[in-house]
Amino acid sequence: MSLLIATTVDDALAAMAAGARPIAGGSDLVVGARHGKAPLPDSLVAIDRIAELRALDVDTSGAVRIGAGVSHHLIESHPVLVERFSALADAAALVGSPSTRHVGTIGGNVMNASPAMDTGAPLVVLGASVELRAVTGSRTMPIGELWIGPGRTAASPDELCVAVHLPAPASRCGSAYVRLEYRRAMEIAVVGAAASVTLAADGTVTSVHAALTAVAPTIIAVAGLEHLAGATVAEAAVAVGDAARQQATPISDVRASDRYRRHTIAVMAQRAVDAAARRAAGERVPVPVNRALGIGAATGGPS
Amino acid sequence: MTVTEPAPTSRFVRADGPDKVTGSGRYAADLTLTGVLQAAFRYADVTHGRITRLDVEPARSMPGVLAVLTAADVPDVRYGPFVADRTLFARDVVRFEGEIVAAVAATSAEIARRAAAAIVVEYEPLPIVNDVEAALAPDAPLVHADWASYGAADPIVRDRNDASYASITKGDADAAMADADIVLSSRYVADASHAAPIEPRAVLAQWEGDKVTIWSSTQVPFDARAGVCETLGLPANRVRIIVPHLGGGFGGKCGFHVEAHVAALARAARRPVRLVFTRREEFVVPDRRREGMVVELTTGLRGDGTIVARTGRVIIDNGAYTADSGFFSQLAAMHVAGPYRIPHLHVEAHLVYTNHQPSGSVRAPTAPQACWALESHTDELAAAAGLDPVEFRRRNVVDTGSEGPSGQTYDEIGLRRCVDAATAAAGYGRDLPDDEAIGVAVGWWPSFTAASGAFVKIDGDGSAQIVTGAQECGTGAVMTLRQLAADELGMSPDDFQLVYQDTSVAPYDMGATGSQTLFNNGRAVVHAAGQVAEQLKRLAADHLEAAPDDIVLADGQASVAGTPSRTVSIAELAGIAAGGELLIGHGSGAPPSAPALVGSSCVGDVGMAAFVAPQFSCHAVHVKVDRDTGVVRVLGVSAAHDSGTIINQIGARGQVEGGVMMGIGQALTEGTRYDDAGRQRNPAMLEYKLQTCADAPPIHIDFVEIPTPDAGPRGAKGLAEAPNVPTAAAIANAVAQVVGRPVRQLPMTAERVWNTLTGEDGVS
Repeated sequence: MSLLIATTVDDALAAMAAGARPIAGGSDLVVGARHGKAPLPDSLVAIDRIAELRALDVDTSGAVRIGAGVSHHLIESHPVLVERFSALADAAALVGSPSTRHVGTIGGNVMNASPAMDTGAPLVVLGASVELRAVTGSRTMPIGELWIGPGRTAASPDELCVAVHLPAPASRCGSAYVRLEYRRAMEIAVVGAAASVTLAADGTVTSVHAALTAVAPTIIAVAGLEHLAGATVAEAAVAVGDAARQQATPISDVRASDRYRRHTIAVMAQRAVDAAARRAAGERVPVPVNRALGIGAATGGPS
Repeated sequence: MTVTEPAPTSRFVRADGPDKVTGSGRYAADLTLTGVLQAAFRYADVTHGRITRLDVEPARSMPGVLAVLTAADVPDVRYGPFVADRTLFARDVVRFEGEIVAAVAATSAEIARRAAAAIVVEYEPLPIVNDVEAALAPDAPLVHADWASYGAADPIVRDRNDASYASITKGDADAAMADADIVLSSRYVADASHAAPIEPRAVLAQWEGDKVTIWSSTQVPFDARAGVCETLGLPANRVRIIVPHLGGGFGGKCGFHVEAHVAALARAARRPVRLVFTRREEFVVPDRRREGMVVELTTGLRGDGTIVARTGRVIIDNGAYTADSGFFSQLAAMHVAGPYRIPHLHVEAHLVYTNHQPSGSVRAPTAPQACWALESHTDELAAAAGLDPVEFRRRNVVDTGSEGPSGQTYDEIGLRRCVDAATAAAGYGRDLPDDEAIGVAVGWWPSFTAASGAFVKIDGDGSAQIVTGAQECGTGAVMTLRQLAADELGMSPDDFQLVYQDTSVAPYDMGATGSQTLFNNGRAVVHAAGQVAEQLKRLAADHLEAAPDDIVLADGQASVAGTPSRTVSIAELAGIAAGGELLIGHGSGAPPSAPALVGSSCVGDVGMAAFVAPQFSCHAVHVKVDRDTGVVRVLGVSAAHDSGTIINQIGARGQVEGGVMMGIGQALTEGTRYDDAGRQRNPAMLEYKLQTCADAPPIHIDFVEIPTPDAGPRGAKGLAEAPNVPTAAAIANAVAQVVGRPVRQLPMTAERVWNTLTGEDGVS
C-alpha cells in the first residue's frame, strides 16, 4: 500500500490521476475496511493537510464556499452557517460523536453518497452545487445530480470534490433538518427531512423546498411543491408531509420497516417545514433542531 | 448525566483508577510476546448442518500458517456445567452461526483470517430450529439428536429440545383461581440481547514445558482454568490464567470460552499465540447472550386486589448449547412469581434448544425480561382491580416476616421502604402532560454464596498486600477489599496493594459473577486480615507488656486500650515479625447457608427457589412519548435498593447508574434480530443500539440499608445485578400509561410503540 500526503490540490489530483483514492478523516473508508465492507485501496492520497480544502469562505453577497475538507464540527459551530444555512448546521451537529465530527468532512460525506447521509438533504434544499476537479479541468454540478445510487456518484475516479457552494439565501428564508433517531449520539438517520421556507410579509409561504434522507436509493428532493406559494405554514407543512409520504420509496431493514419509514418521513418533513418557517420568521431555534424541539427523540428536562 | 452527589461514608480511591483513566493500564489485547502468532477461527457457514467434508489443507499449505486445528486435533471431550452438550470444535454437526469448526495460527492476523477462509467445509443441511415455541412441539426437529446420551447435573430435568425444565408449586393454584373474583391473563415476548462490553475479548497463550500461561479477558479466571483443564486433559497446577485489566464484562465474559483453543494452537505451533475478537465476533460467538423469552401469566385476585393465585409458563431460548443456563428455568420461574405474597402458585419454565447463539449469564440473567413481563402484568392487574398500581403493590408485596411465593419467610427486608422511597423521589402522583407518565416496578434478586479465598500479608517495612482470587470487572468490588482489610487492621486502604486475577498465586474465587465478589471474597479478606490482626495484637502485647485482648489497632498503631501513650506502630511490629513468625493471614470462611422453604415443591430444583440474603428494589421512571413516532425518552429515574449494608457508597452508586442505563437500553433499543436461518441481523454497534451518555437521564438513588444476618461482610448483600432488574419494567408501565395499553414485546422500540399506538401490535 502507498500513501501520499498531499499539500496542494494539484498534488492530490496528480496522485488520483495515477489511481490513488483520496482520504481525509477516513471515517467512512477506514471504518468500512475494518468491517470488511471493502478493503483499503492499494494507493491512497491524504488530502487532510491541503489548506485550500479546509477553507470556509463567505463572500460579500452572502454566498458560501465550503472546502471539501471542512469538518462537521466547523459547520455546526460556524456562526454564518448556524444563522443562515441552519439546516446544514442541524445535520452536521447530529453526525456521530464529537470525535467523528472533528475528523469527518463535508466532502467525504457528500462523496460517500450514502442515502442516509445527514448533510445531503440540507444541501439539496439550500440549492448547493459541488465543485469537482481533475488534472484535466474542473466542473460544477447541482448537488442532486451528483448522487446516482447508494454509494455511487457521477464523479469519475480521478475527480476530487474540492468544495461545496451555497448560494446566498433570500431574506425571510429559514431552513431546518430533522431526523428520526433512536438515541442521541452515535446514531444514523432512520429517516430524515430538510426544508427551506421563504415567507412573505404576511407570514404566508413564498416558496418551500424539501428533501428526504434514507427513504430512497439516494437523497431525494420532494417534487411538486411550487403550488404551495401563498399557502399558510400549517398548510404547507401538511402538504409537504403528504408529498414526502407519497414520494418516498423506503426499504425495510433492521432499523425500521418500510411502513414505519413511510409514516415517519411525513412526520419529519412536516416538522422540518415548521422549524424552517419559525426560523424564517426570525424565531431563534437552536441547532440542532432535534435537540431544541425534541424532534425524533422527544425532548425533556429533569423530572 | 446528573446524579445526586453521593454522601461518602468513607474515603475511596480506586487502586486501578489512575491506570484506567490515563491509558497506561494494559488490557489483554495490548499484550504481546516474542515470536507471537495471531489466531483466527473458521466458523460454521450454516446454522444447522452435518459436516460432510472438512479439508484444512488449503490453510495448512499457506505460507505463514504454523498451525491448523479441528476437532480431530483435541481430546474428544463433551463439556458443560449443567449439560455436557458442547465440544471445543464442531464434531459432525454445527448448530449455530458462531460455532468454531477450525482454528488457525499464522504470522499475521491477515494471513490467519485468509487461511481460515480457505478451509473447505461442506454440509448436509439440517432443519433449522428458529422459533422457541415451535421447538417444544413433540414433532419439532431436534437440535441435539443425541441429547439423551449427554451427561448432565443431577437436578436437571430434560426432554428432547427442553434442556432444563423447572416448576414451583405451592397450594392449589387451579382451585384458588376458580374461586378468584378477578382473573387476568397476559402474554409477553422478550427478544435476546447482549452484554456488549466495550472490550472485545482477547486471549494470549504461551507454553513453557508442560505448563501453559493464558492471559485472558475473562470475568472468571478459575472457571476458565477449569475449562482448559477439562477439555485439554491438564491438571489445574499446570494451567495459569492471568487477567490483565478487564474492559467490562456484564456477564458476557463469564464462563469458559476460547482459552483452550488458543492454548491448543500455541502447543501445536510451538509459539505463543494471540487472539483478538472483532466486534462482530464478540456479538456472535460467546455462549453469553441474554436469553429471549416468552412469558404467559394468569393471576387471580380477590375483589379488594389481594393476589390469591398465579399460574405461569416461561419459555426461554437456550440457543444451541447449554452454557451456564441450566439454572435459568428455575430462576425465571421465581422472577415471574415475583416478590409477592401468593398463597397458591404454579409456574413452570422450559429452557429450549434452538439454532441460535447459546444463552448465558448476562447481568441478572432472566430477571429484567421476566420482571418486565410480571410487572407489566401487575399494572394490568391493578387496573382490573381499580387500584393505583403503587397501592396494588403495597398491598401485595412481601415484606419483613411475610412468606414469599416459594415458601421462604423473610427476616427484616426493605421492599415497602424501597417503594416509598422511589415513588417519593419521583414525585409519583403529580400532574404531568398527557404525553408523560411515571411507571413503577419492583424487583428482587438473590445473593449468591460460594467458597472464596484470600491471603493478607504485611511485609517487614509495614506495607501490606491482599492476594485474592477475586476478579475485578469494573464494579469496584475488588477495589473495596482494601477498605475491609484496612478497617480490620487499623490501617489505611492506601497501605494495601492488591495482587489479583492470577490463578497460580491466589486461592479460588468464583469470579466477577453473581454479584458475589464483595459478598464472598469480602468475607475471606476479613477473615485473613483478622488473623493478621491477632498476630499484631500478640506482638504488640509482648512489646507493650499488656494482654492481647487489650490491644487496639487504629491509625497504623497498636495501643493499649485506655492508655493511648502505650503505643507501637504497626510498621515497627512488622519489622519485628520479619525476623520471626511472618505476618500472613489466610481466609475463606463458611458461606451463609440457604434458607428453608416451607409448603412448596420444586421440580428441576437447582437451588434458585431459596434466596440467600435477598435483595429488593423499586424503580420509578418518568418518560415522555413522542406520539407521532413512538420514540420514548426517559426523563428521570428514581431507584431505591435494599442491598443490605452499603460498604462503598461511590461504587454502589456506580452500580445502580450502570444497571439503570443497561435497563433503559433493554427497554427501548437493545434487541437482537434474527433472520430466517437464525443468524443475527444486527451484530454491530451501529445496529445494536446501546444507550449513550447523551441519552442518560438524571438518576436519583436511595439505599434502604438493613444490616442483614447470614449475608456478606457487615450485613452487605450483593448489588451488581439488582439495579438491572426493574428498570425496563418501570419504563414499560410508564409507556403503557401514555399509550393506553402495554407494549408486549421487548425492546419496546419506537416502531413497536407506534404500532401499539395505532393498534397494529400483533405480537406472535
